[in-house]
Amino acid sequence: MTGDVEDRREEWEGPVPVPNGANADFWAATLEGELLYQRCAECGTSQLYPRAVCTGCGAVDPAFEVSEGTGTVYTYTVCHIPGEPGFKDRTPYVVANVELTEGPRLLALVDCEPDEIEVGAPVGVTFWQVTDEAALPVFELR
Amino acid sequence: MSEPIVAGVAESDLIETPDRSWLDNAAIATVRALEDADLTLEEVDGVAVAGGDDYMPALLLSEYLDLDEPSFLEGTEIGGSSFEHFCGHVADAMARDRADVVVIAYGSTSRTGSGRDRSLEVDHPVESFVRPTGLFRPPGAYAMAARRHMHEYGTTEEQLAEVAVSTREWAALNPKAEHRDPITVDDVLDSRPIAEPFNMYDCCLVSDGGGAVVLVSEEKARELGVPEISVAGVASTTTHRGDVSEMPDMTTTGAAVTGPKAFKQAGITHDDVDVAQLYDSFTYTALVTLEDLGFCEKGEGGQFVEDGATAPGGELPMNTQGGGLSYCHPGHFGVFVLIEAARQLRGDYTGQRQVDGAEVAVAHGTGGLLSSSSTVVLRREA
Repeated sequence: MTGDVEDRREEWEGPVPVPNGANADFWAATLEGELLYQRCAECGTSQLYPRAVCTGCGAVDPAFEVSEGTGTVYTYTVCHIPGEPGFKDRTPYVVANVELTEGPRLLALVDCEPDEIEVGAPVGVTFWQVTDEAALPVFELR
Repeated sequence: MSEPIVAGVAESDLIETPDRSWLDNAAIATVRALEDADLTLEEVDGVAVAGGDDYMPALLLSEYLDLDEPSFLEGTEIGGSSFEHFCGHVADAMARDRADVVVIAYGSTSRTGSGRDRSLEVDHPVESFVRPTGLFRPPGAYAMAARRHMHEYGTTEEQLAEVAVSTREWAALNPKAEHRDPITVDDVLDSRPIAEPFNMYDCCLVSDGGGAVVLVSEEKARELGVPEISVAGVASTTTHRGDVSEMPDMTTTGAAVTGPKAFKQAGITHDDVDVAQLYDSFTYTALVTLEDLGFCEKGEGGQFVEDGATAPGGELPMNTQGGGLSYCHPGHFGVFVLIEAARQLRGDYTGQRQVDGAEVAVAHGTGGLLSSSSTVVLRREA
């Protein structure tokens, strides 16, 4: 397990992930508090989002591994305008591009005040369960 | 090799066209551009259309204009850089005698139309990773790239604001521009926050309108006797689409690839460039494009614009119609950078609005979320 899972189904009004295809394993793992990424056994390429082929060598269905759930803020923005339905009451909120310790970058909410975040800040993952099928990886400042 | 010649350019009505569809605006721009070229609809044998909130837009425009068996059809959708990208395909087609008169067209009702229906259904796997973050796109995606640029190179919000200020100075000279009142750096910094570090004046307008460019073969151009503004170099690429996380280096765009290719094809250096029309969906878009095309060192775009290089009277006049920040921005701004580049090379303007003796122009399109880049070099032949 790489992060806590909080049940946010009652209060979540935003879009929810739709597990399908190569994403299905990723989203299933989020319910167990695990953040997965793909690492190709053939060539070692690490990647997110999950895909049916390895972007390094073209191997089909590269294997998943469990991330430590840690990383740093590669960059971020503070949204003052809601970009999706259900986010109106959250503004301003922080969306970051998180560089995982294992390499791949992931877009995610960071649960912090806008003036607390900076590029390079260390973060760790938690999960907000937003449907019966998936929990969102949401990062907290460490 | 023979190069296409820009024989005519035009906009439709801009800013608000509540009684028009995207197709109306594309068609109106087309007939105006043909009139500018002294050509008729009958002579059109090729159509290239991007944007347009419809499936198969090139077919729709061909039907709408009742074109007679056009031989060249193009609808490659790479966002705001599609029109620059088309120039290369038109050049290839003309070199093989597949077309003589091609219209590149765009139309939109981004402002008064109902807009695109944003289905809640997540149909691409990457969307499940992006949409639940609530990221406001496109501004938030560009903002994250800008933030990283600030981190790596020390670029400041004041320098980003300089792009909006200098662009507004150009807009003040353009009667068609929506916003012509002067603004200051403080005005930009004090405007409504959108997606940090962007405030409202860092972001492009949302307009209705359309534009069209008529490209003709060299033979046709000689028949018409139009000024020979040639497509001397074209290159396109892409770095990502759905998620900016996939951008290999968030502070370098595809322009770093397309600029050198297009310049080499045209046989020019930066010193030859008299005017630059660079897609400015946001202040940062133009700033990073200046760097990636090599008009200044990487990371020094902030200082370049701060020193006034791109403003009226500067060494590299940029976005001389006011750009997407102050003139208009109906969604795919790429067609308008071509139009203004051609007009400057033709010498259509007077006074400060005209860049004196402009012979070489660079028109650069950016599409998606800093995702696609296409560079065109236009040259006035002696």
